[in-house]
Amino acid sequence: MTTTSRRQFLQGAAAGAAVLSLPQLTFAQSAGVFRIGALNPITGSGSTFGTGMLKAIQAAADVVNAAGGAAGIKFEVISEDTQTSPQAGVLAAKKLLDVNKVQAVFGTWSSGVSLAVVPLTNDANVILMNTSGAPALSVPPANAKGLSFRFQATNDRFGRAFAEVCVKEGFKRPATMAFNNASGIGNADGFKKAWEGKGGKVVAGVVYEPNQTSYRSELQKVLDANPDVIVTGSYLQDTTIIMREWYQSGIPVKWILPGWAGSPDLVKAVTAPVVEGVISVDSVSNSGAESYKLYDAAYQKAMGKPGSSNVYAAMTWDMVITLALAIQSAGKTDTDSIKAHIRAVANPPGEEVFSYEAGLAALKAGKKINYQGASSALDFDEYGDVTPDFGVSFIEGGAINQKYVVKI
Amino acid sequence: MSNFPQLIANGLVQGLFIAMAALAITLAFSIARFPNAATGDVMTAGAYTGLATQSATGSLILAGIVAIFTGAAISLAADRLVFRKLAGRAVVASLVASIGVAFVIRAVLGVTFGLSQLVYDIPLTRAKLYWGVRLTPLDLQVAGAVALALALVFGILHLTPIGRQMRAVADDRDLARVSGVRPERVMLALWMISGGVAGLAGMMLGIKTVVEPELGWSMLLPAFTAAILGGIGSPGGAVAAGLLLGVVQEMSTPFVGFNYKLAIAFAALLGVLLWRPSGLFGKREGVR
Repeated sequence: MTTTSRRQFLQGAAAGAAVLSLPQLTFAQSAGVFRIGALNPITGSGSTFGTGMLKAIQAAADVVNAAGGAAGIKFEVISEDTQTSPQAGVLAAKKLLDVNKVQAVFGTWSSGVSLAVVPLTNDANVILMNTSGAPALSVPPANAKGLSFRFQATNDRFGRAFAEVCVKEGFKRPATMAFNNASGIGNADGFKKAWEGKGGKVVAGVVYEPNQTSYRSELQKVLDANPDVIVTGSYLQDTTIIMREWYQSGIPVKWILPGWAGSPDLVKAVTAPVVEGVISVDSVSNSGAESYKLYDAAYQKAMGKPGSSNVYAAMTWDMVITLALAIQSAGKTDTDSIKAHIRAVANPPGEEVFSYEAGLAALKAGKKINYQGASSALDFDEYGDVTPDFGVSFIEGGAINQKYVVKI
Repeated sequence: MSNFPQLIANGLVQGLFIAMAALAITLAFSIARFPNAATGDVMTAGAYTGLATQSATGSLILAGIVAIFTGAAISLAADRLVFRKLAGRAVVASLVASIGVAFVIRAVLGVTFGLSQLVYDIPLTRAKLYWGVRLTPLDLQVAGAVALALALVFGILHLTPIGRQMRAVADDRDLARVSGVRPERVMLALWMISGGVAGLAGMMLGIKTVVEPELGWSMLLPAFTAAILGGIGSPGGAVAAGLLLGVVQEMSTPFVGFNYKLAIAFAALLGVLLWRPSGLFGKREGVR
């Protein structure tokens, strides 16, 4: 017995690994409805946003159902947690597709998850609407069937926005730090491409692993190159640790963070003096639009926080409205019809509409519409990507103050 | 251009956390004879209850005590409700059950404390240079606390009657029983110590990083690695292997970059197991 203890240990560990992240099963099925799979990052590094994204999907579905549904069909929302992990996301997507027979999947966050889920939705011939940035999601194989629609700016566009900010702020020696996934590296590479396109040079770049207790060695390598600004493709948890360790090192440098990392939660976690002057860049919601006000009110009601605290919830809100308008316009719920009508209801030309009710009325009146979303103007290009504007904010005294907007 | 003393220091600090988690795993394994995958989530529980205590009372010492007791209490409860009922079955049964226990703990923590990250409210201090190596006072405090915890555990194992009984049961359960050792009492003590170590380790990790529901779970793989590397069931081996893993990872980065440092740690594991199949400090039998 004793001589085999390691073997047992390893066998056991292997068996255990196989069952690690099975999502819990629920059974929900009813006829005469359109089933939406809400696949959000309820836990893991996206947990700051996940619950709000789900609530926005549910609230928007309620709006659609209250208006009599889309082409008379009611929406049913079935939710699963991706745990912000590709493995768990795939299992959850399988369950949504195979068990719940959902007809569209909404709200995958983090590129690793979206890239892992998109082959499944393609195979099932189901539309995936995501909030991820990886450039790979635009093109085949991921988007071979054109069924993936992205409501967030691509990482490439983020990189371009970062480069614009560097020019505007007069930085000369940028370095990059990227979380090792498609999004983090996409941000850093997009920045490098845009910056070098402007004739600049990136003095150092590090790609780091998730879930480390410390990033001191990584940070040291970048700081050794004596940069004047560090541009990151990072998430909240790793950024929290990095910002603390940087502050402790006492070496002065400026930071440009993506908005999902440079958030109020970061300020709360590391305290205001640490992140004073840090620049946070995010795609901005369409905050002047009427559609944003509707979303904001619904988010406030569901989460007790302003809609501005969750830019992704505005995107998931728009997913439901866009889908509903496309179904109404198509008059059918098969994937190909929906796909064909998404651009028809979201892109110009057409009467600009800001709410589901208004769009519904215009469609019933036989008009061509152009839905203006809460998250952006929502005009999908040939890859299913949108181009939001970017808000550039400075952290000052613990507040995140938007200073200007960059258009790319 | 690489600053090796700094990398060693960084590695040692990271290794301390792996060492604590590996110690909790190996202690449980030495007597209960299965790898307890709930260890990571017991750590998480320690981190959360410590955090709650610290924000309520402002005392880190009190937080540490609460974290230790939380870990011990959860481990005892898991043993009483689950593991004891599976004793004598295949190792896999207990292991899979322990994963279930891990999920339950994580779910309860998620519902109780929410899913967003939380942090210990400890003022950040600038690092100081010690012989060219940059260390923060917090690093030194964590190292001190870990050393104290290790001294306590080894003191219990080697200097007290219950520790002697634990080692006897680990060596040969039947022989211990006929010699008058009551295994139930030993198991009780064991789960308390293992859980307490995990709870404290979780709190330390929470102070160093951020507190979130997967804090301990993501520590499990390196911790299992260290437990195997050190010789399963060998407390000293687990600690040494944890520190070694941390140092090897960091030292490798100038050569292989930051993305392959985990792979290097596993290559080290392979190498050691080829050379010494029972681990660095494991006896032939693999337990002590």
